[in-house]
Amino acid sequence: MKDFKRYILPLFTLSICAVLSVGGWFLYSKIQNPYSKTEQFVQDKEAINRLLQNSSEIHRIWNEGEDSREWNLVKQECLKHFNITSTFDESLLRCNPILLQCNYLFNPKLNYRFVKPEMGNDQNQKMYRYLTKSNTSHVGLEPSGYLFTVEDKQSHKQLSLLLADQCQEVFLQNRVYAYGEEISGKPSEDIEDYRFDNFNQNIYIDRHLVMNSEVNDWIDFGNPNFTKGIRKIEADELFMPATRLNYSQMENFCSFKGKQMMQAHYFDAATFLPMDLSVVSPKKNNRSPYYWTKKKSEFKEDCSLLYAQECVRKKAFHINSTSPSWSGIMDSLGGIFEVFRNPIDPESNLKASSYYFNFKSPWHKLGFRAGWDGEDFELRHFDFKGINPKLTVDNFKVGFRCMRESK
Amino acid sequence: MKYLLLTLMILLLQACLPFQEAEVSPEEAEMKIYNEWIFAFKVQDLKVNDQIITRPPGIEQLIFRLVIPTPGGVNFKTQCVYYQVPYKKIMGLLKIVEQKNVSSCSEVSSGDSWLELIHLSDLKVKLVNFKLILDFKYKNQKKVWTFLLPNIENGVIHEKYQAVKERKIFPGLTLLRINDESFANGRNNYLGKLSDRMSRGTAIRCQQVDKNCQNVGENRCDSCAYGWYQVVDYTCPQGGSKFCGQNHCGEKNEPACLRGTKVVEGSDSGICQSDLSAVLNADHVLVCQ
Repeated sequence: MKDFKRYILPLFTLSICAVLSVGGWFLYSKIQNPYSKTEQFVQDKEAINRLLQNSSEIHRIWNEGEDSREWNLVKQECLKHFNITSTFDESLLRCNPILLQCNYLFNPKLNYRFVKPEMGNDQNQKMYRYLTKSNTSHVGLEPSGYLFTVEDKQSHKQLSLLLADQCQEVFLQNRVYAYGEEISGKPSEDIEDYRFDNFNQNIYIDRHLVMNSEVNDWIDFGNPNFTKGIRKIEADELFMPATRLNYSQMENFCSFKGKQMMQAHYFDAATFLPMDLSVVSPKKNNRSPYYWTKKKSEFKEDCSLLYAQECVRKKAFHINSTSPSWSGIMDSLGGIFEVFRNPIDPESNLKASSYYFNFKSPWHKLGFRAGWDGEDFELRHFDFKGINPKLTVDNFKVGFRCMRESK
Repeated sequence: MKYLLLTLMILLLQACLPFQEAEVSPEEAEMKIYNEWIFAFKVQDLKVNDQIITRPPGIEQLIFRLVIPTPGGVNFKTQCVYYQVPYKKIMGLLKIVEQKNVSSCSEVSSGDSWLELIHLSDLKVKLVNFKLILDFKYKNQKKVWTFLLPNIENGVIHEKYQAVKERKIFPGLTLLRINDESFANGRNNYLGKLSDRMSRGTAIRCQQVDKNCQNVGENRCDSCAYGWYQVVDYTCPQGGSKFCGQNHCGEKNEPACLRGTKVVEGSDSGICQSDLSAVLNADHVLVCQ
């Protein structure tokens, strides 16, 4: 008890000192900095506004693609960075993450930075993720697309942007269409002119064949069980069609993107030129085998309309090498082979019109299809109905595209 | 000695002030709100539009609600926004109450508030060009809060020769609330597996249409993990029922593909492989056998 009394005074003094210092500090900070909290909120608001402004710019570049001033600024360094030396259709840069990456890497004037996604053990060099409903649980993911996380350099505040990659699709007009080549003569019970319509359906078709860069994204961000054994293809091949997937892998790629494999009759719908665009329900679907004309006799040996064997010597093949069809889809004839899912005649699933055949070949017609078993690329896996290519080819190139129905 | 004790008491009380919950300032409230609402997908039940809310005085009322993803985006939550018109000694109040899921809001708030801002009067609310504007007086000082809502979408435009276009401030751009939880295994609530097939009985129906062409339940096709496809059932104007997954229409024991209704009728309105024919199954779906 005596001891305790001895400590009362020092304890009391210490308590007073503590109270004095805390109280004094608080008063001092209030006098010195009465608005700091408010100022912080003002700065936060400015940071959000800067991020939104930058998001708007990123969105513009995303949509403008090759037409953006940014592409002209960074083009040379970008091509060098990705080791691209050959020419390609630059419209493929629309809704393409490569342009945004290059703008970030080579445009020094930006006041934001992209945050590289953490991908666990992966040595991913990409500044983005491909986000789809099968690889994230985030709600409201309609549609899927590329995720970029933007950080404001000044405040380090971040914003995650999902950029939809739908600008390379085209809407198929609601009208009556026909499948396959036109039947000559009067239709009978055995031979039917196979007509169908897509009224009340919102069908979107990929404008171009699936590219290697898209398959690379599938390998990086898709379920590895479905991409086992598929190699990434870089450099000059990035903007070239993906031609090394088997049929089942092609189907799975489209599913990863929330789409379906392109169906043969919808490809016919998007490529046969309607005789009268203003009549959506014609009594008969007359059709020319060439997408550029209504006349059945107007075949042209023109590499800008049909990339055939003769064109290989004139210019290198690339995606979108010929004119678009009436609906806006590319490479309707010529180029490489293209496989479809054909629910009417599964054996006729291949657009054989390609640079494996010269201009004189009967294969260069819309609706006329060969067969592919979908397993491998040697001649024995194809059925050319007796009209075989005259070249010796070890592995044929088979491309594909996807389609989807929208609400 | 007496004065010394008094000074000590004042300092002691002053020292406790930092631990007292301070009243929210309008600047703090604005930032707290903006950090949430910037991700809002829906603004619903907005009852007022650019009119000063004057009635009923002294009573709290629901002015609108927002549907917002939770951090990580695994679920949606609802924020209910209430306003109390000032009356005599009753202060004007803006109050936000949070609900853990998507649900309607009660007319008067209940439970803990997510945010409360007092000393408000003359509140006007309007939603214009994807901007939510709150105009009010705070302690008789005029304030205008403008919140840009980039995720709000007013439908889509389907146009021939064109890609789909969303009616929103930046079409094709969505702000997400990404964090590690967004990629956590086992948290994915999207519907279906890649192997699902109608022929195996595993395909998930995401929209059902009945014989009277009425939609049964909600359309969940936006929640399909691997896309969706339509089948032929009652040839209704809005189309048929829809299933999640990879489309194998036309194949054996799979649904027939759509052929439309303008050129054919009945079982011919489905497409099957040439060696199969279309028949109605027990669910009145045309399948290929």
